[in-house]
Amino acid sequence: MEKIVLKVNGINYEVSVSSTQTLADVLREELGLTGTKIMCNEGECGACTVLLDGKPILSCMTLAIEAEGKDILTIEGLADPLTGRLHPIQEAFVELSGMQCGVCTPGMILTAKAFLEQNPNPTEDDVREALSGNLCRCGNYRRIVECVLEASKKMEEE
Amino acid sequence: MANEFSVLGKSHIRKDAIEKVKGEAKYISDIKLPGMLYAKFLRSPYAHARILSIDTSKAEALLGVKCVLTYKNVPKVHPLRKFEFLLDETVHYPGQEVAALAAISPEIAEEALDLIDVEYEVLPSIFDPDEAIKPGATLARPEYGSPLYRGTELVQIPRLEKDGWLRLEVGDIEKGFSEADEIIEANFDWSPIQYNCSPQPRGVICEWMGEKLICYADTQLPLFVWQDLSNCLGIPQSNIRVIASYSVGGYGGKMPEKTAILTAILAKRTGRPVKAVFSRAEDFIGTHHRISYKNFHKVGVKKDGTLVAGYHRIIGHWGNDTCVQFICQATGLLGCTMLYEWQNSKAETCGVLTNIIGYGPMNGFGDPEVIYSLERIMDMVAEKIGMDPVSFRIKNCMKYGDRAMEYEQVLYGPIRWGIVGDDLNSFPELIKKCAELAQWKEKWKGWRVPVSVNGSKRRGIGIALGMHHTSFWPSSAIVKMNQDGTANVLSMAIEMGQGYATAISQVVAETLGLRYEDVNPVLSDTWATPPSRGNVASSGTSSPINSARLAAEDVRRRLFELAAPRLNTTPDNLEARDRHIWVKGSDRKISIASLCLANWQITGWANNPPYESIKDERTGKVIHAYAAAVTIAEVEVDTETGALELIRITSGHDCGRAINPIIVENQIDLGVVMANGWVRTEKYVIDEKTGVILNPNLIDYKLITFLDMPRSEDFQRFFLERPCAWGPFGAKGMSETAMTAAGPAIANAIYNAIGVRIFDGFLSPDKILSAVERMAKV
Repeated sequence: MEKIVLKVNGINYEVSVSSTQTLADVLREELGLTGTKIMCNEGECGACTVLLDGKPILSCMTLAIEAEGKDILTIEGLADPLTGRLHPIQEAFVELSGMQCGVCTPGMILTAKAFLEQNPNPTEDDVREALSGNLCRCGNYRRIVECVLEASKKMEEE
Repeated sequence: MANEFSVLGKSHIRKDAIEKVKGEAKYISDIKLPGMLYAKFLRSPYAHARILSIDTSKAEALLGVKCVLTYKNVPKVHPLRKFEFLLDETVHYPGQEVAALAAISPEIAEEALDLIDVEYEVLPSIFDPDEAIKPGATLARPEYGSPLYRGTELVQIPRLEKDGWLRLEVGDIEKGFSEADEIIEANFDWSPIQYNCSPQPRGVICEWMGEKLICYADTQLPLFVWQDLSNCLGIPQSNIRVIASYSVGGYGGKMPEKTAILTAILAKRTGRPVKAVFSRAEDFIGTHHRISYKNFHKVGVKKDGTLVAGYHRIIGHWGNDTCVQFICQATGLLGCTMLYEWQNSKAETCGVLTNIIGYGPMNGFGDPEVIYSLERIMDMVAEKIGMDPVSFRIKNCMKYGDRAMEYEQVLYGPIRWGIVGDDLNSFPELIKKCAELAQWKEKWKGWRVPVSVNGSKRRGIGIALGMHHTSFWPSSAIVKMNQDGTANVLSMAIEMGQGYATAISQVVAETLGLRYEDVNPVLSDTWATPPSRGNVASSGTSSPINSARLAAEDVRRRLFELAAPRLNTTPDNLEARDRHIWVKGSDRKISIASLCLANWQITGWANNPPYESIKDERTGKVIHAYAAAVTIAEVEVDTETGALELIRITSGHDCGRAINPIIVENQIDLGVVMANGWVRTEKYVIDEKTGVILNPNLIDYKLITFLDMPRSEDFQRFFLERPCAWGPFGAKGMSETAMTAAGPAIANAIYNAIGVRIFDGFLSPDKILSAVERMAKV
């Protein structure tokens, strides 16, 4: 076990981790940030996506020690910490029912956030391509695309 | 239509939306209790074997291991009335539990599994159902003495005949076939086995307080878990609290089977809470999957398209066992008897036992597997008589007054046909509208004439109908008013993503004249919520939500009684709206909050009436609730590679009344996408020699992705609202019908593209290529 400092959602946490422990495991089991979901646990489904320095990564395939010194954003850190206001992507998912069972939702939203920052005015094809690594067993794909396009409009207006 | 309501028919924000987008929704895998241990299961590597010896001493000696269970130290009981004991001396499929243990961490528990020494005597096994059914074949369960399921002491199915077949007949098929102008028959190979693949593998946490057991279960059937724990552990239901308030999409399959019982025993023996959550691989191999059918259909038809006789033989591949003995197939018998109105029909089914994983409920439950082949033969029938497939279906689809029944009657009798209600008169309209949206007239160029040909790429279009029951079951609910005039509705049903929490709140708010946000549900806590069967068989809307509506009416009656003297009128002269009780046609009112503040015990409850009491006014016959669907698919087949692309899909539904339109659309999408996976991408690979599942992971078992579905403009869905006699405000369950129609629509579209029919279940590129090879010969 070694002690490392992880900066998650703007807060520094000192945690003891083993060299083989994944970031997903540390977020969920050590820090109690269970908003990061594990669906396949082998890098295929995108449910465990978090942002590392703004880039989407699969936290079930990333060692916790690799994330030291980087800014980690999980779903718990996405709403405005002061006002509590949801991020526009979260708002779009709420307003248009972008989720059913909700397990893929945090990963979908974070992947969409990183994508919209790169491509603020996407086409439907762009969204489909960008999210194609995230699986939704409830088959909510069409609605999720609608939510991300709606969020891009909201973000542009703001 | 939605305008007559204030809360209903509007896409209110889901009750669970905000916690889900913030990552605050807590599923079983997210819950941690103080002192909690972690359970793991040792599973058989063999398909059929007897345990000669099992030595757990090394595992027990490992630091951190608290308890190890084997067949030697657990009760000899049959969970869910299945063949196998909780832990058994003989195993009948690869993946069957051999031991269970609890340790202070998942890693130690995993390590301890490797320290259990088991010596097996490997026994003969059989995996191919075609072989298993032959006389003299190896028996999957020699001690049972039959390759076909015939019931057990625990499972009595009165209408199952001695030969192991369940039958359903109408009229006289011999006479019917003798009157036919054309007779068309075909065998359809096994429909694909499909993995439910809940986004969260099955999980349960058990904790004891004295003699009382608390079980947090990820299940859509809390009632079954509750009864099963009571039966297997020998403790009263009143001592068992099953909490299933945050379940994850189960698509039919979420029941913990024996896991809850083993976990409860581990918790009892260690005196600590124990959590069992399957790994993804365990969830693949250690639970159950969609049933596979091999169907033969023979259809007699007149030249004008009138169906005179139908014979349907459905062989179900059960694997080692199931927890829903013949319920799936009774549903399938009704599917092929009811989707079209036959003058004469006979349907029969049996269940073949082998040594692979067993089957269980999955979205569509017995109907998709029969409609997949039925809708292909119906296309063959229409072609034979030279009728357009759309017109053929408009002529023959089920409509008001056609015979209908509950699947329970097929199993237990008596066979007494009722009818489908006038909501089903929407079916022809649904087909017409679907054809219009899919531009059928422009695209359909005739039998075996593709929509277009561009080099090796051929486009085809196909249609299929679908249906499923929307069960009306005994169910009860309680609505309690709070002092501020808000309400909670108590219901033993669950929110697993399908929108139950939202829909039940909308119905109760509408009934009481409250705002949507004034009502919140309390779901599935067996100590608090009144019984209902849970969320299976598309029953949620028709059954528990209907009892919630009746409970809300009970509350409204009490509110009227309290308000009447204060408004100087009689209760029958009052109405509830805008959070007030009003004197009809006047501006005199009293707020519901003030009535509740002054009266502390305004609680209403109700049971659903028996289904036999709901009768058609015109004919006096019992009405059965069914939902209908139609799907038109347009595909592109690459004749060089066998690749199949879905170009366009249109899915139409009849939902009685859409309580929340966006959620209805989402549920349609679920079925359409899942059906695509079923026939196009999700292939269970089972080793022919060992029965072991070779791809128990999401890398090798391919779910549909964003890119496998058409863009929004080419992925259309719609619904019609024709109130159903059963459900609340005419609503009925519609969540499983999409699954039933989409698979055969794709298969029929492939036929249109290449002019060769594929009789296999899985429409993979290799099957398509081998069909293409036959193209030249046609």
